Amino acid sequence: MARKMIRVLLVDDEEINRVVARAALKAAGGGGDVLDEAENGAVAVQRVRDAVAAAAPYDLVLMDKQMPVMDGHEATRRIRDMGVTTPIVAVSSDGLPADVEAFITAGADDFTSKPLSKEKLGIILAKFRLT
Amino acid sequence: MAAAALTSQLNALVSNMFAMGLLDDQFQQLQMLQDSTAPDFVSEVVTLFCDDGERIICELARQQEKPNVDFDRVDSYVHQLKGSSASVGAQKVKNTCIQFREFCQQRSRDGCLKTLDLVRTEFYDLRNKFQAMLQLEQQIQACYPKH
Repeated sequence: MARKMIRVLLVDDEEINRVVARAALKAAGGGGDVLDEAENGAVAVQRVRDAVAAAAPYDLVLMDKQMPVMDGHEATRRIRDMGVTTPIVAVSSDGLPADVEAFITAGADDFTSKPLSKEKLGIILAKFRLT
Repeated sequence: MAAAALTSQLNALVSNMFAMGLLDDQFQQLQMLQDSTAPDFVSEVVTLFCDDGERIICELARQQEKPNVDFDRVDSYVHQLKGSSASVGAQKVKNTCIQFREFCQQRSRDGCLKTLDLVRTEFYDLRNKFQAMLQLEQQIQACYPKH
């Protein structure tokens, strides 16, 4: 069943992860979603800033941890410092409790492991009432 | 007839890759994500993995030739390879990357060198099989000319 269209920002420096995430999001019922991508935290922060300025904020941010220029923790902190309350879900292959806690402390709302799948995205979308 | 034989070969190859532990569930997930709107999705992901892997392994070899190995830098590259292995379902390569990272954290030059050899062998073995798989897929597609 098709769900409402949402705006998603996918932040990951690895193209392979972005390709898989795109397909997984589409399979999770989001054929019409707006999907923007950022290859590092600094670009992500700018995209969020631009989206707020355009009165078209994101509905969801999927944030990788380890990236050049600015990592996921710092990007999450800066987005929260802007007053943006968009759900941020950390996506990382390092699922140690310390990693999860660091992301939550930075302001992320949830954590999921890589690689993203239709099922994981379905759970995330349901959790944040984006279905 | 040719298509059936090629398809049979392809299925046997992929089944064997699963049976040998080269691939895990994630590869099946990728196959399920492929559809008529993204008919080359698996091929795209496989190609990205092969290209990334080649680049990273060359860089790892270069890093380990240095008199003073920067283990954090090596770990960062291995993390990348582990990530792309996980994305494509390359189970064996991914698991070896996990071991590799442990040697990086232990600052063990010998451990890192041995594991680099292992991951290189496993990666090239998998890459060869992926290339054979993609070739078979192309041959099968060629049996069904587009209208």
